[in-house]
Amino acid sequence: MIAPALNPALHPAALAFAGRHQPRVWEPIVWILALVFYFAFPNHLGFGTELLITILFALSLDLVLGYAGIVTLGHAAFFGVGAYTVGMLAYHGFWNEPISSLMLAAIVAALVGLGSGLVLLRTQGLTLLMLSLCTMALLEEAANLGHEYTGGFDGLASLPIPKLLGLFEFNPLYPRTQYVYVLTVLFISFLFIRTVVYSPFGQSLTGIRENTLRMHAVGSPVRARLVTCYTISAAIAGIAGGLWAQANAYVNLTTLGLDRAAMVLIVLILGGCGRMYGAFVGAVAYMVLAHFLAKLYPTAWQLGLGFLLVVIALFARNGILGIGEALLRRFRAKRMPR
Amino acid sequence: MTACLLETNALGRSFGALAAVSGVEFRLDAGARHALIGPNGAGKTTFINLLSGVLQPTLGRVVLKGRDITGIPEARRVKLGIARTFQINRLFRGLTVLENVYIAVSERVGAAADMFRPAGARGDVIREAMHLLAMLKLEDDAGRRVSELPYGRQRLVEIAVALGLKPEVLLLDEPAAGVPSAESHIILDAVGRLSKDIGVLIIEHDMDVVFRFAERITVMVGGRIFAEGTPKEIAADPEIRAVYLGQHSHV
Repeated sequence: MIAPALNPALHPAALAFAGRHQPRVWEPIVWILALVFYFAFPNHLGFGTELLITILFALSLDLVLGYAGIVTLGHAAFFGVGAYTVGMLAYHGFWNEPISSLMLAAIVAALVGLGSGLVLLRTQGLTLLMLSLCTMALLEEAANLGHEYTGGFDGLASLPIPKLLGLFEFNPLYPRTQYVYVLTVLFISFLFIRTVVYSPFGQSLTGIRENTLRMHAVGSPVRARLVTCYTISAAIAGIAGGLWAQANAYVNLTTLGLDRAAMVLIVLILGGCGRMYGAFVGAVAYMVLAHFLAKLYPTAWQLGLGFLLVVIALFARNGILGIGEALLRRFRAKRMPR
Repeated sequence: MTACLLETNALGRSFGALAAVSGVEFRLDAGARHALIGPNGAGKTTFINLLSGVLQPTLGRVVLKGRDITGIPEARRVKLGIARTFQINRLFRGLTVLENVYIAVSERVGAAADMFRPAGARGDVIREAMHLLAMLKLEDDAGRRVSELPYGRQRLVEIAVALGLKPEVLLLDEPAAGVPSAESHIILDAVGRLSKDIGVLIIEHDMDVVFRFAERITVMVGGRIFAEGTPKEIAADPEIRAVYLGQHSHV
């Protein structure tokens, strides 16, 4: 029997669940660090901008891979679609206002995500992996062949990107505007992703990841949920690609290729899947490591990265954040002996 | 006669040349406490899979409250009021016990498509999930991951997830299998307390459980219905004792 005083809805576990979307104490630190970077390293803002874009791209992948459990190797398809949307519209003189261009990039990428998702998400596992790779390869080849529109192998250079809000110039040598602009977009996108992840919809995605068959048995429209998630993720990847095109004032085939798709996957695995901040940690770790390893061993720097990935895959399946969580648990267990 | 909730007409399912279930005429009444027994490989689980829509029959029909639901997929049958548990746990192992039940309840009340409000803000869903856990004496495990729980407790979560769907027809596939006898009564108490409008069909090997719980028993052998009756009739039938109950000489 339950004593009336012990209302189960007031159980600590229920209260913890009810408040789990509240911001953690440490969460602002991440954003403060990003602001500090702006003032501390004014000569490395190009690197910083690239880093922030990678974080946004990895976040979009985290939504599908980390939360919904969709294993894809072709996420750069949406990054590229976003980049080419911004690039082609600007290059051919149709539209180049930065913010609305970015929204168009999101819409076009979302449509590609919806279309391909309706087909791809009928499959799972290895089949899905290969099909996502194929979709990306098809788009890459289309961009390669459509020389007239896409610039083919050379891409589209010197995109005329006007001043942001008519005030702030995108200067390729001193990318101050780019950094702040990208950071703002990243912050807004992050708030959106965070909301989705902690919503009942986000909870149902984790259910699909953990046991798809049981989700059918609780009456969940699994396919529709997955396609919705995939479309949202594609839109965010498209925004990341659009930002890349605007920040660099060019687009080329690297935005669509396997290299980029594999890189973002490595970033996420390095940082930790299904944790949101894994994208941040992974991107920083990857880019800093790549930077220094390339200085040390200009010819074989990827070897070091590969070695690290092997170590992570063997001993730390939840990435760098997973190691941190495990250490924290051990530390707490020591401090509070039962 | 009470109202018929779920019935099958000449239901059959073959896997290649093997007829796992064939020619089954079955009815489950509203408020029924019905047990399905039979030796291993008799087709009991296949039959449950046909009722819940995990499998499509090769022959015959499934009818819910007069409506033919044979072609309706599993997820939509849940919306029509059929819920089930699995013989081998099918849970969201990496999630907490509360999250497991939350997912089921939020799907039922239509909260699960909402992506702009925090899951924690749905107090109604949390409250209902916690009350279910309390009923199954699981509330102190609510914050633990399912994968950390002993098997017997996981079986209880399995039931809690199904009850979170507030079914009219509840199909229990060996709910107490692997549960220590000290805990198996929690499962049966919970099922016993269910509203009298719900029809419950239970597959169970433990004859103590069957005779304590069931008001009606169907015996399945070789994919066909071998006998049906009240527990007294079944226990008294010498033929059933020979094919099935005889294997448990202690009964």
